[in-house]
Amino acid sequence: MSNIVLFEDIFVVEKIDPDGKKFDKVSRIEAHSQNCDMYMLLDVNSELYPMRVGDKFTMALAHTLNLDGTPDTGYYTPGARKTLADKYEYIMHGKLFKIGDEGSGKSLKAEIYVSYGGLLMMLKGDPSYVSHFELDQRLFLLMRKL
Amino acid sequence: MTQELQQKSQSIAFTKQPYIEDVGPRKIESIQFSMMSDSEIMKAAEVQVYKGQYYSSNRVPIEGGLLDPRMGPANKSCTCATCHGGFSNCPGHYGYLTLALPVYNVGYLSTILDILKCICKYCSRLLLEEKLCKDYLKKMRNPKMEALRKTDLMKSIVKKCSTMASKAVKCPRCGYINGMVKKAVAVLGIIHDRSKVTESLQEFASAITHTKESKAAVNVATYILNPVNVLFLFKRMTDTDCEVLYLSERPEKLIITNIAVPPIAIRPSVIMDGSQSNENDITERLKRIIQTNASLQQELVEANSAFKSLAGWETLQVEVAQYINSDVRGVPFSMQVARPLSGFVQRLKGKQGRFRGNLSGKRVEYTGRTVISPDPNLKITEVAIPIRMARILTYPERVSDHNIEKVLYGKFRNQLAVELKSGCIVDRHLEDGDVVLFNRQPSLHRMSIMCHRARIMPWRTLRFNESVCNPYNADFDGDEMNMHVPQTEEARTEALLLMGVQNNLCTPKNGEILVASTQDFLTSSFLITRKDTFYDRAAFSLMCCYMGDGMDRVDLPTPAILKPVELWTGKQLFSVLIRPHANMRVYVNLTVKEKTYSNKLIRTEGDEEIRIETMCPNDGFVYFRNSELISGQLGKATLGNGNKDGLYSVLLRDYGAHATSGCMNRLAKLSARWIGNHGFSIGIDDVQPKKELSDKKGKLISENYEVCNVKIKEYNEGKLHLKPGCDAAQTLEAVITDILNRIREDAGKACMGSLPWRNSPLIMSQCGSKGSPINISQMVACVGQQSVGGRRAPNGFIDRSLPHFPRKAKEPAAKGFVANSFYSGLSATEFFFHTMGGREGLVDTAVKTADTGYMSRRLIKALEDLSIQYDNSVRNAGGCIVQFLYGDDGMDPANMEGKSGEPLNFDRLLMKVKATCPPAGQRYLSPQQVSEIVEKQLAAYGKESCSEAFLNSLRKFFEVQQDKLDKKIKFVEDIGWDDKSQILEEVTHKTSGITEKQLEVFIQTCFSRYRVKRVEAGTAIGAIGAQSIGEPGTQMTLKTFHFAGVASMNITQGVPRIKEIINGAKRISTPIITAELECNDNENAARVVKGRIEKTLLGQVAKSIKIVMTSRLASIVIALDMETIQDAHLCINADIVKESIVQTPKIKLKQQHIKVLDFRKLEIFPPVDKSKIHFELYSLKNVLPMVIVKGIKTVERVVIAEKEKEKKKVKENGEKKKYRLLVEGTGLQAVMGAEGIDGCKTKSNHIFEVQQTLGIEAARICIIDEINETMKAHGMSIDKRHMMLLADLMTFRGEVLGITRFGIQKMDKSVLMLASFEKTADHLFNASVNGRDDRIEGVSECIIMGIPMPLGTGILKIRQRDAVPPMLKYGAPDPIMS
Repeated sequence: MSNIVLFEDIFVVEKIDPDGKKFDKVSRIEAHSQNCDMYMLLDVNSELYPMRVGDKFTMALAHTLNLDGTPDTGYYTPGARKTLADKYEYIMHGKLFKIGDEGSGKSLKAEIYVSYGGLLMMLKGDPSYVSHFELDQRLFLLMRKL
Repeated sequence: MTQELQQKSQSIAFTKQPYIEDVGPRKIESIQFSMMSDSEIMKAAEVQVYKGQYYSSNRVPIEGGLLDPRMGPANKSCTCATCHGGFSNCPGHYGYLTLALPVYNVGYLSTILDILKCICKYCSRLLLEEKLCKDYLKKMRNPKMEALRKTDLMKSIVKKCSTMASKAVKCPRCGYINGMVKKAVAVLGIIHDRSKVTESLQEFASAITHTKESKAAVNVATYILNPVNVLFLFKRMTDTDCEVLYLSERPEKLIITNIAVPPIAIRPSVIMDGSQSNENDITERLKRIIQTNASLQQELVEANSAFKSLAGWETLQVEVAQYINSDVRGVPFSMQVARPLSGFVQRLKGKQGRFRGNLSGKRVEYTGRTVISPDPNLKITEVAIPIRMARILTYPERVSDHNIEKVLYGKFRNQLAVELKSGCIVDRHLEDGDVVLFNRQPSLHRMSIMCHRARIMPWRTLRFNESVCNPYNADFDGDEMNMHVPQTEEARTEALLLMGVQNNLCTPKNGEILVASTQDFLTSSFLITRKDTFYDRAAFSLMCCYMGDGMDRVDLPTPAILKPVELWTGKQLFSVLIRPHANMRVYVNLTVKEKTYSNKLIRTEGDEEIRIETMCPNDGFVYFRNSELISGQLGKATLGNGNKDGLYSVLLRDYGAHATSGCMNRLAKLSARWIGNHGFSIGIDDVQPKKELSDKKGKLISENYEVCNVKIKEYNEGKLHLKPGCDAAQTLEAVITDILNRIREDAGKACMGSLPWRNSPLIMSQCGSKGSPINISQMVACVGQQSVGGRRAPNGFIDRSLPHFPRKAKEPAAKGFVANSFYSGLSATEFFFHTMGGREGLVDTAVKTADTGYMSRRLIKALEDLSIQYDNSVRNAGGCIVQFLYGDDGMDPANMEGKSGEPLNFDRLLMKVKATCPPAGQRYLSPQQVSEIVEKQLAAYGKESCSEAFLNSLRKFFEVQQDKLDKKIKFVEDIGWDDKSQILEEVTHKTSGITEKQLEVFIQTCFSRYRVKRVEAGTAIGAIGAQSIGEPGTQMTLKTFHFAGVASMNITQGVPRIKEIINGAKRISTPIITAELECNDNENAARVVKGRIEKTLLGQVAKSIKIVMTSRLASIVIALDMETIQDAHLCINADIVKESIVQTPKIKLKQQHIKVLDFRKLEIFPPVDKSKIHFELYSLKNVLPMVIVKGIKTVERVVIAEKEKEKKKVKENGEKKKYRLLVEGTGLQAVMGAEGIDGCKTKSNHIFEVQQTLGIEAARICIIDEINETMKAHGMSIDKRHMMLLADLMTFRGEVLGITRFGIQKMDKSVLMLASFEKTADHLFNASVNGRDDRIEGVSECIIMGIPMPLGTGILKIRQRDAVPPMLKYGAPDPIMS
């Protein structure tokens, strides 16, 4: 299980659309994690999965949905198999396109950027949580409200 | 003209066939221009023409008449009496016509005049000393001398002789005294004016008194040199004298005694119904000559007195002159008619003349023209041809086993069909896939005619993909376009490879992409890639099918949202569009900042700024990574034309034209179908402002009006703070114009902010498909200030623009500010002002097209024959070198990737390499390793393959990269060695590291790409350059002024400026010298220098100029105003004033006349006698205030300007302001030499002056810079190489040659080229006098002669070894030495 999920934590929504509402069906949420002190910006389809300030949700990043850990083929194969998806309410699939860093020295923070078909995610925090992500990695974002 | 023909002898075969010598293929090598003597004309002629009649009563051409059958058949029913050919195959034969008395040939009149100026009118020898004659002859015979120099030398001889002859010159040989020779006024003749010849004059005068008749003042000394006299003189001229005067042949040929009657073929006779026939103008002219000639003959026979025939002779002269040139001057008033019959010169010259209308451009077959319409379902390389057109146009296809079935379709002409076999040629109709050329006028650049593949379609219009509108500059409001069908396989291949749309996606102007998505394609892409467009499986699959007609293989990507429902985003659709399936190896990597990008600063790291980039809240940052659209809403910057980092540019550079055109095709289909379903329209509700918007606008306008009123009030009270170099009225205008222009901009911003996102105009403006924020603002909020000639509306009435306003009103509304919007409607006065602005626009476009058209023509004519040779040099047709290496690096401008013409965009390439070449567990390199590898690789690829500049730019790029990495690594190392640092290092490498493989691939790609970008030998780079400069000219607005740092100082811009530069004008309208100061951070120092340069008049610094009269003395006393002088930091005292008065040329005062009383006073005693002194004093008093005491005469004024560039820096770093001087006027040398000016950095925009003071290389740089500046001011970028080439052409002769008829003449061009440019007849006449020999090597000449030109594919010549190869001997080898 743990080798499938690359990162998991519980986040609390702090702000919705910090720069003003620009799109009808998509809102950008700003959230902070409770355990790893990660900061996240995420575009969510608000029509399908509405969110409000103060919502608490668990978010996981996995490189495959197969429970046995076989890597994702890149081809989409829907079916009635048991997958990681069953436990979550909102799942997106995308690509990690940038690894960045902020600051310097000990206070250096790493950030990863993922695009889920144009819905962007930025996850910023301690480098140790980030170092095992690779560029161009395909990732599944799994969310469930608590 | 004689044609030198190659002749080859061949063995003669004995047959009964008539013998026709086979001389092999003939080729015109050169043309020699010459004149024909009377005997030559008679020899060439078949018949003497003496009757001025055409047909007899039974419609048979009369023998000896102008339509004599021996000169060729006059119509289809006759045959030629000479060659017995019919109307269609007789080439025509000459006749001749003998004149009773010789007359001048008007074409040669100026030459005759020049010769007469130089020879003695008694003994026909040159009016020069024997020694001088020999010197000139030696110079003339110098074989290295060019024709142009010889002409100049001849002119100088004429000048020398005529300046001598202006008085009276004695012939050094016979002693006859010659007077001045000049052209007669009002008649065609030459006058010999000997009135200055004093000795003989008295004799004449006394003689006149004895005659009875001539009581009137007859000037005997001046007599007309009649053609008989001149002919006599010319016949006696020696051959060497002729050679000195650059006459290739005997001068008597300049005078007509026999006229060659041209063949009937060139002056066709058309028989009208009835007995009337319609004769050609030339025939009618000849008829009149014959009639005049006959009456002159009659006069000569009848009257014995020689001078009686004068009247008839003059008429004959005029008739013959008009036969050659009907516009000739000096025709008596009685003979002038409203529309004269055209002469030979009229046939040749002008746009419709033989040279430009028939020889340089010819009518062609296999063409079509009709209205165009769009069709997004066609590929960009296709053009839809109506069936009807395709059935008329044909292509000759050779029948083979493979196509015989295709050719034999249909049931017609069965007889022929049976006989058809391989090898026959069938002129078949056009079919799908045929190669056609497609063109729209005006053809301003080479992309105006491109090669498409035909698609035969129903209906009646030519159709093509909208993406190709840009190169043709076509729209579908009724435009028509032309189509040509190449008729041979060679032509098809060449057309496809050189002119194919897919090979011309980029403009050679600057390497930007030209064929790109437009209008609706942009709008729909913009809407599809919006962040909140989601599609379910059905919709997404349907749209995937749209882009390939459902015929292409598509791999469906994993949906972006898997749960709760499967949803794909619009961005994923674009990923599919670029790379539809996994087998397609296209990995696009690019970043573009769209219009909507917020460019928000997140933080700064050191001096590096981290921008918001992909996380932009407006989604304006487009990022493609390995053909996946990561972020950004696509608009014009990504998909449109005129961009170097756009999607199509990147595709073209990285994956070739095929991938690019495929992508464009898919996008066109997808967009057209999608937007058809989605719907996109504009209505009245789109331009209705919301309540808050109109309130906001009202507030904005009233606030700004208030500010304006305050300023006007200040102005009226004289309290306005003046701007540098402006008076109060100018300042007020500048301030108010500024405020009012801002209103419109602010209103536009307010509109863009308040309109809902679904607003159609807003969408169009945001994605760049049509319209700007200003257009929206004009519709919704406020039309804004109307301007005429760059100013507010002028006063059409006394002190006011319209009678609706009070006099001297300066309020915004009274001077053309339109506060209403088009929606709310304009008031009457506003409407009037709006039409004023509108009219100016219309006039502007009308004037501009003519101006730029002529400019383009001149540029092309000057540059047409420049091409790249195999040694990379740029040469003209004669082989004269213009540039040693094209553009200093030999690169093709069309392939340049960098923003300002560098070969490669390293940043983008590195990004691509990093993305396509994943690290995959490889080790990252340390900065030191990077630099080692780079050096090694650079050394390996070496210098031989690329320029030093390129290597340096690559090195510099790596230095910057290394610095970045260095810094990052340092931070990590500082921490120390523990677990965390390892993680940190890993992260750092991942963010900005590079692996060895990546580095290797990067450098290798750089070099391999660089090599491909070389310009090919044979490229007609001159024509391309001329088009690249001429074409943007059409887009420039004509009258624009741009303020050079100071509001009041405007520089001519736009087309007039380009014209000035290209013409190499000696006087330009706004010469400005930009002078750098030695001490540039002190305003006071700048003032002092300004005082030195700006001219100061005595009147400005004098307190008084008084006339003092005492009983003994009268004088003028000047007192200087020392306070003013000190205030202005001038150093002027009485001594300086004295010097300057003495040096003023018009005031003739000497040192001793001026007495300096003290440092501020001086006294002047004019040196005239007492009777006149009073007048002298007063006139002096009037002149004295205008004496320049200080400064440079030619300078109009000087303005101190703050440096623009450094303004930003000043703000940030708190440095001192930097100043420089802008000097209006000429006098570069004086300004450079002025104290306090840094002469090395001082520049002028006056090219001619720069050449005079600094030399030709400086002039070249000046031309390049000035063209660049002007183009930049209009937001146009042109590759530097084109401007370099133009500048080099203008300066390669060592002087600045303008691109005008005078300059082009000096550029080593041939006669035919010059004749096809301007002054056709003059060049031809001169060429025949000088016996010019024209080798057919330039572009114009080759076109005129119908020979392939030595340019492009024609640069290649195949040489075949003629000699039989030696027999090879086998066996024992020949001894080396015997």
